[in-house]
Amino acid sequence: MELRKNNGPLKWCMITLVVVFLAVFLLLPLVYIVITALSKGIDAYISSITDEYAVKAAWLTIRATFWAVLINTIFGIAAAWCLTKFAFKGKKLISTFIDLPVTVSPIIAGLIYVLTFGRQSFLYPILDGWGVQVIFAVPGIILATIFVTFPFISRELIPVLTAQGTDEEEAAALMGAGTFTIFRKVTLPHIKWALLYGVVLCTARAMGEFGAVSVLSGHLRGKTNTLPLYIELLYQGYDFTGAFAASSILVILAVVVLVLRLWIEHRGQKDLDIDK
Amino acid sequence: MSENTNYVELRHVNKHYGDFHASKDINIRIPKGKLVALLGPSGSGKTTILRMIAGLEHPDSGEILIDGKVVNDVPGSERGIGFVFQSYALFRYMTVYDNIAFGLRVKKTPESEIKERVAELMKLIGCEGLEKRYPSQLSGGQRQRVAFARALAPNPQILLLDEPFAAIDAKVRLELRTWLRDMINRIGITSIFVTHDQDEAIEVADEIIVTNLGRVEQVGTPPELYTNPATRFVVNFIGNSIPVKNYDSFRHFEGKGKDSEAILRPEFISIFKKGENVQYSESAEEGVVEDIIFRGTNLEIRVRFHGNLLSATRSINAPNIQVGEIVKVFIHRLFVIDGENVTMKYNQSLREESVII
Repeated sequence: MELRKNNGPLKWCMITLVVVFLAVFLLLPLVYIVITALSKGIDAYISSITDEYAVKAAWLTIRATFWAVLINTIFGIAAAWCLTKFAFKGKKLISTFIDLPVTVSPIIAGLIYVLTFGRQSFLYPILDGWGVQVIFAVPGIILATIFVTFPFISRELIPVLTAQGTDEEEAAALMGAGTFTIFRKVTLPHIKWALLYGVVLCTARAMGEFGAVSVLSGHLRGKTNTLPLYIELLYQGYDFTGAFAASSILVILAVVVLVLRLWIEHRGQKDLDIDK
Repeated sequence: MSENTNYVELRHVNKHYGDFHASKDINIRIPKGKLVALLGPSGSGKTTILRMIAGLEHPDSGEILIDGKVVNDVPGSERGIGFVFQSYALFRYMTVYDNIAFGLRVKKTPESEIKERVAELMKLIGCEGLEKRYPSQLSGGQRQRVAFARALAPNPQILLLDEPFAAIDAKVRLELRTWLRDMINRIGITSIFVTHDQDEAIEVADEIIVTNLGRVEQVGTPPELYTNPATRFVVNFIGNSIPVKNYDSFRHFEGKGKDSEAILRPEFISIFKKGENVQYSESAEEGVVEDIIFRGTNLEIRVRFHGNLLSATRSINAPNIQVGEIVKVFIHRLFVIDGENVTMKYNQSLREESVII
């Protein structure tokens, strides 16, 4: 390991580069958000984040995130399970489709749903008859959020499930265990940390989603404005204090997610010792 | 009668994986209480047969019978089998105790009975005190024993083992082979194990089913397979095989069929020094020693004989032989291959001698 012992200039150059890069592109903007948010005093900051519309936007973001994460968790487990445990035709195709949201621009994702559920769609009269409004309403926001965070959980689970193989499940099935018992006792302990990690990533992405949600929301203040949309709205209105104050909420949520992520990685590492 | 025959039976079983014909008209009968090996090279279809008996794969056609009943539509969990996987497939997030108890818990056995049964099995496999360990904290040999105990816990009628020794290093493997054989004999459970290692099959099994290219080539006890190989494949696969193309030019093997292809075994060949006074020295022919390899318990002598390179063994106590030395080579017998058929041919001088006596 001669390379690692090397204390030469290369090592310091690299470290400096990384530190400077992080500082300029990450830390500096974050600090700037806080400074700007507090530039008109703490009172202005507090009144900005306790503003009726700010609270409503934050609440909507949390709701949309909750539903998106919940649905994607169920879908992610199901998709990862069927892609790794069964052999069937079209498996590759499904696997490719799951990744589609990552490669498609969120704006396009928003437009797809406008076309699918908007007034010109054949679905519109049916849904309208049931009193369900998708576009420019909360269901649309949740749909858009689900779309952009679609692959996050299944992509975390697939490698773990592939590495595990099917032997343990077969062994349990041969002893007469039912599907649900097998999942709970054999599969779930194995994928637990990967699943939590996927949930955290999915949450982080869902909270910050702007593009697709922007197309579908209609920007109704207090009704269909999520935090990122609200921030943009304030920013366009030259309310920098308000915009940065609202941003700071998202930053705090991001930090929470980051801490969770570290904790999960730490715990998961411990469990890996059990894994041979 | 029914007690002792055909506990597990496959009748005209076929299995395809896509275009690949993995099992071709398999017909086998496995008697109750026997330890049977499915032996064949990789891809020969042996694991497929095992998995079909277990209910992990379903045959395209044909019948699988256990204890006289057709079980094609009976799920694996109701066939009364215990399965030991090649990788053991121990539940890695459960302790040894929970692993062994799993099958019993699924069957809603009372916890007190489970405790008794696990203790009994832990004693049987000699792993007392390891109940609270996780599989990752066990050695390879211990894992294999635990997998064995887990398979036995629900009192199955048949034990199926897929390459049970493949994942263990060579030294422990020998020890475990003997252990497993003793253990299975003690319990008296009908057992079928898959292996690609002929030594393993010969040492452990009462009976061997040799598979090749999806077919059953031959079924027999280890000595039967050694002395009466039925097909070209078996004669090459079992034991050490030395192919020769011109056996009809060997002395006392004259007179041949349309082919002169044959298989020799090291144990069919005797090598001695020119001056040595031994039984067959009159009928032996000359060969040139090309190589001598020390094998610990004996010497392997490679000798050029009628253009063929033969290898034979010689005791380390016998008079010394040098590389390049001209020695006497006596062939006791060989397997003549005629198309797919194999026949044993003896050195004619042996017959003459026996006539004289």
